[in-house]
Amino acid sequence: MTLSQRRKISHFIIIVVMLGIGILFMMPYVWMIMNSFKASVEIMKGVSLLPQKFIWDNYVTVATGAPILTWFNNSVIVSVLTTLIVLFTSSLAGYVFAKFDFRGKNMIFWFILATMMVPSQTTMIPSFLLIETIGLYNNLAALVVPSMVGGFGIYLCRQFIEDIPSSLCEAACIDGARNLYIYWRIIVPLIMPAISALAIFTFLAKWNDYLGPLLYLNDTDKMTMPLALRFFSSQRKSDVGAIMAASAMVMLPVTIVFLAFQKQFIKGIAITGMK
Amino acid sequence: MKKSKFPYIVLTPMLLLLAIFVILPIIGSFVIGFFDYNPLRTSDTNVFIGFDNFLSLFQDELFLKSLSNTLYFVGVVVSVNLVFTLTISWALCSLRSNKWRSLFRVNFFMPCVAPLAAVALVWSRSLFASRGGMNDLIGFFGIAPVNWIGSASTLMPSIIILSLWADVGYNIVLFIAGMQGIPEDYYEAAEIDGANPIARFFRITLPLLGRTLTFVISMTLISQFQAFAQFSIIASNGGTGRAGYVLSTYIYDVGFKNKDMGYASAVAVALFLLIMVVTLLQRRLSRVDWGY
Repeated sequence: MTLSQRRKISHFIIIVVMLGIGILFMMPYVWMIMNSFKASVEIMKGVSLLPQKFIWDNYVTVATGAPILTWFNNSVIVSVLTTLIVLFTSSLAGYVFAKFDFRGKNMIFWFILATMMVPSQTTMIPSFLLIETIGLYNNLAALVVPSMVGGFGIYLCRQFIEDIPSSLCEAACIDGARNLYIYWRIIVPLIMPAISALAIFTFLAKWNDYLGPLLYLNDTDKMTMPLALRFFSSQRKSDVGAIMAASAMVMLPVTIVFLAFQKQFIKGIAITGMK
Repeated sequence: MKKSKFPYIVLTPMLLLLAIFVILPIIGSFVIGFFDYNPLRTSDTNVFIGFDNFLSLFQDELFLKSLSNTLYFVGVVVSVNLVFTLTISWALCSLRSNKWRSLFRVNFFMPCVAPLAAVALVWSRSLFASRGGMNDLIGFFGIAPVNWIGSASTLMPSIIILSLWADVGYNIVLFIAGMQGIPEDYYEAAEIDGANPIARFFRITLPLLGRTLTFVISMTLISQFQAFAQFSIIASNGGTGRAGYVLSTYIYDVGFKNKDMGYASAVAVALFLLIMVVTLLQRRLSRVDWGY
């Protein structure tokens, strides 16, 4: 056997094995979607994966029995708002750390990096008390305000802005441009890869956040999707079909967005690992 | 480099926010841990009790159980994750076709974007049900049905399986990016010298992955120590036989269900120290100085 023949065979074997694992990886989605079109009684019997009697009732149950649009709106508001603010603060702070000299710069930067290391699960009690004290309990702002500034975003932006030649900013400065003008017209357009990676990360983290809403929200019409889903499922414990339909309605929007922008997603994740 | 007041104007509000919402809570955890603190009582009965909360940790069976469950979960999830993702990424990198590689990468990454709360519900109600997907799968290999999340011995393995499914995509993407950064000449030279694929993996890929590997290990460790949503949904109150209690859910239950916030803070401090020690140890052990 020649080298290239051997290569072809191993190539083929790898693809077959990967296809097998890949199909297994898709099975939870298949189960969720198939079960969402079955009556709960049929799911319990577990006769076949394909619905024996195909029904839309589960989706009707979710759409009419729960304020799903309100929950969706809450999720959109919290995620979009947080993402926009984080993009602004991170890029602006990143610009300052990359292109300015000031006293205490290194110390402040290390402080910001250190805040990244604090595991949020270990501070849930004081965080809750803090939110209650400042009067944000049961308010969607409680999910936005604490995460307006993040060490990760600042670090990522600084890494990218450092690669921009300082002469570019200096030239603009000589022309009389103000700092904010330079930031907006020169820096931001040049670090778009970092900005989009950060946008994806922040948005996903907020969209999928479960602990935050669990700690800070109380009313059902304030909930964001993940917590609302838990609430819905505890209301209809035995109605597996409806729970699957609700899960599908929570999972599919992000999945569709991901599939539409998968190149940017993958690139964004890869970027954060390299820098 | 410029000098002006601009940095201070920009950074002051941001540092204030970080101090209030990150630093204050972490200090708060330590402080509240020294009090017998229940938010429902009047303030004068919430008294300073010194190290009592911390000392009771050692006699608290549920705490010790959550601690060992956490270590069990993190240990298995992180090691299986690394072996699996390294193998998959390596196999995908050896594919010459970009199309297949990106297809599989998308395939494995897809679960990462789904909210863990939804993932936990789908797995617990559809796949781990008695007539669910997992029993079908093992039945295919002739194994008798298992009472996945219903029995104490299989509860943790079940949660481990779904956590792996939901998380491996990240590391696959990162490892593939890292592996693609290794210059092709190294492999060609090794191949000419007659090194087989396994040797090439251990002698070239793994050592040269250095920085990516360290980064991935510490990120995975930190995130898994904090796993919460899947435990909160599948193993509420610890689940069958309390086999699904981990420190993060134990903190929540003690603090918010029992309203014993002082004691819960002591548990939180323990988790904080545990994460710190493990990350520092990992940094020390995997200090790399390879470059290319």
